[in-house]
Amino acid sequence: MNWTDVLAFARGPLFQVALLVFIAGMAYRLVRVIFLGWQVDKVPARGSKVGGAAISFLKGILIWPFVPWVKNTFKKNPVIYLAGGLFHLGLFVVLVLGTAHMLVWKSLLGFGWKTLPLPIVDWMAAVTIVAMITLFINRLINPVLKLITGPAEWANLAIVFVPMVTGYMMTHHLWFRYEALFSLHMLAVDVLLIWIPLSRISHFMFYFFSKAIHGADFGKRAVEP
Amino acid sequence: MESQIVLDTFIKETGGYVASQLEACTRCGMCAEACHFYQATGNPEYAPVWKIELLKRAYEQRFTLVGKAKLLLGIDKSITDTDIADFSKIVYEACTMCNKCSMVCPMGIQLGPLIHEVRSGFSEAGVVPADLMAAVEKQVEEGSPLGVTDDVYESRLEWVADEWEVELPMDVKGADTLVIFSSIEIMKFPENIAAIAKILNAAGENWTLSKKAREVVNFGFYEGNEERTIMFLQRVFDGAIELGVKKIVVTECGHAYDALRWTSYNLMDVPKGIEITHIVGLIGDYLRTGKIKLKEGAFNDGVVTFHDACKIQRRGGHIKEPREILHVLSPDAFKEMSPSHEESICCGGGGGVIAIKEADPIRYAAFGLKIDQMEKIGATTVVMSCSNCRLQFTDCVQHFNLDVKVAGLSQMVADALVE
Ligand code: HEM
Ligand code: SF4
Ligand code: SF4
Repeated sequence: MNWTDVLAFARGPLFQVALLVFIAGMAYRLVRVIFLGWQVDKVPARGSKVGGAAISFLKGILIWPFVPWVKNTFKKNPVIYLAGGLFHLGLFVVLVLGTAHMLVWKSLLGFGWKTLPLPIVDWMAAVTIVAMITLFINRLINPVLKLITGPAEWANLAIVFVPMVTGYMMTHHLWFRYEALFSLHMLAVDVLLIWIPLSRISHFMFYFFSKAIHGADFGKRAVEP
Repeated sequence: MESQIVLDTFIKETGGYVASQLEACTRCGMCAEACHFYQATGNPEYAPVWKIELLKRAYEQRFTLVGKAKLLLGIDKSITDTDIADFSKIVYEACTMCNKCSMVCPMGIQLGPLIHEVRSGFSEAGVVPADLMAAVEKQVEEGSPLGVTDDVYESRLEWVADEWEVELPMDVKGADTLVIFSSIEIMKFPENIAAIAKILNAAGENWTLSKKAREVVNFGFYEGNEERTIMFLQRVFDGAIELGVKKIVVTECGHAYDALRWTSYNLMDVPKGIEITHIVGLIGDYLRTGKIKLKEGAFNDGVVTFHDACKIQRRGGHIKEPREILHVLSPDAFKEMSPSHEESICCGGGGGVIAIKEADPIRYAAFGLKIDQMEKIGATTVVMSCSNCRLQFTDCVQHFNLDVKVAGLSQMVADALVE
């Protein structure tokens, strides 16, 4: 077996299985939580729940969760805001606005879109990698993060890190043979896809729940969320 | 096995509301920077996310495949009695349920309400700090955690009516508005009672007090015990039904307002057609509609600032009214602390913390943040609309020997009334 075979496997059957696990796993998680039941809120509102939820999402969309809307919190923990924000921004740019990934989306969805020039995407990828290393170090030294970080949290960072780094190395033809790197990249992506529904990386789905709850809870009290 | 009771309670409480928020947490630790107890002490165990750790573990181990696998592999441990004892100290002594953390959390997780669920589990298992529990039991038996029995209630009110020459209508059937004081006001700040009575009388309000509904404080709510929370709420509603009022006014007590206005409807059948409001909201309305007139600039010396209470402002929504009032009373002297409004820093004494002697050191430490805030603007008077905050401020001002006057908003309004 050579790298070409590995690549074909990682891009072909394994990728399809991983994608299936990802979709089925996330659907299971979603359904599981929804069917735990919801108490109807009978409290008469002072303000608008929907309005509150809207503001909550406006303040929290895409990279905005990393804007410290609350006074005095940024300077106490700037690393998480900056590195966390740049990491997610970079992730978005690379995965959605990079040509290579757009073509993958196109093959899956059937349509494509305009992408950013390669140097910008490449630069953002580098920023993302630096940001992830920063987050990693921060997890090692911040006392609160030390307390709440277990194997699963380390795995989250590592499993997102590998596809990012291998992807970056591919565009720069660093070290290995291209096919070897591409294979590693695809294997790492497959692992990531399977890992997401098993881990807290699924936060992007539950984000829509918690942000809506937050907005509604504040909105009904006529307080800005 | 206390841990088993806690676990069962957690699982019973875990519906979509709890689960979806537990799932959303990215373990980023940002919420720590919101908590005055963490900021003041640097103890990572006071991070809000850590306070819901057991709730999270119970959820994962019961409801998720990964949680079950982690338990089998020994990566996670099941909850033990030792855990319960440790966390009981953390969630009762180092949390005022102020919910500031939910504003900082990038996922918007309502940590305050989730910590309340944690307390519920602990209360079912009876792992509650002894001081707090003693107060709860006192309220069950005597009707008040501060020993305001029927006799004490009547004699205190008689004395207030006498001392401040104010009319205090009692058990008036057919009155529009039932006003219920907290025992903190009755025992520690009686001048507040006189002040609120003066304001209501000046506005021509058809109001009454009730012997049945004589205590608005709800220590069952602090404890997180649903049964006792309902028991104390029921006493209030019984009084309201008996007198046939249309409105219940909670006086300067924050968590009582949270329990009555924002929680009771989801716990029990609240009598229909009764509006529940807070005295600050009512005074704000009086001022807007011209039912009372205030002497402009009545308190215009020095630097006057307002402390936002977590349960009346951030979680009660009465943020504008105090400002409107203070812009009349102290047009030049009024100055905001930073941060303020819904982002305000908690006084450190709410959520039952001030009732627990063992929490004194961190309660004082947390107040340090408030001192910084006041010193930055050179405050000479700090005004508030919650008598629990006021108890904490009065105690801390004495403890730290500060040169700041602590004032209740209603009292300032009463002093500035013009006929
Ligand atoms: C709606 C979209 C999303 C939102 C609002 C969001 C928000 C957040 C926030 C607030 C954090 C915590 C801050 C930090 O530790 O940096 C975080 C962490 C993280 N996110 Fe996201 N995220 C989203 C989508 C994604 C996606 C699609 C991935 C995919 C791979 C991802 C991967 C991660 C990882 C690995 C961490 C942990 C970083 C660490 O451990 O320090 N996120 N996310
Ligand atoms: S509710 Fe307030 S006291 Fe409790 S953890 Fe959150 S910020 Fe701290
Ligand atoms: S800030 Fe929110 S998401 Fe981050 S650790 Fe705290 S609760 Fe979890």
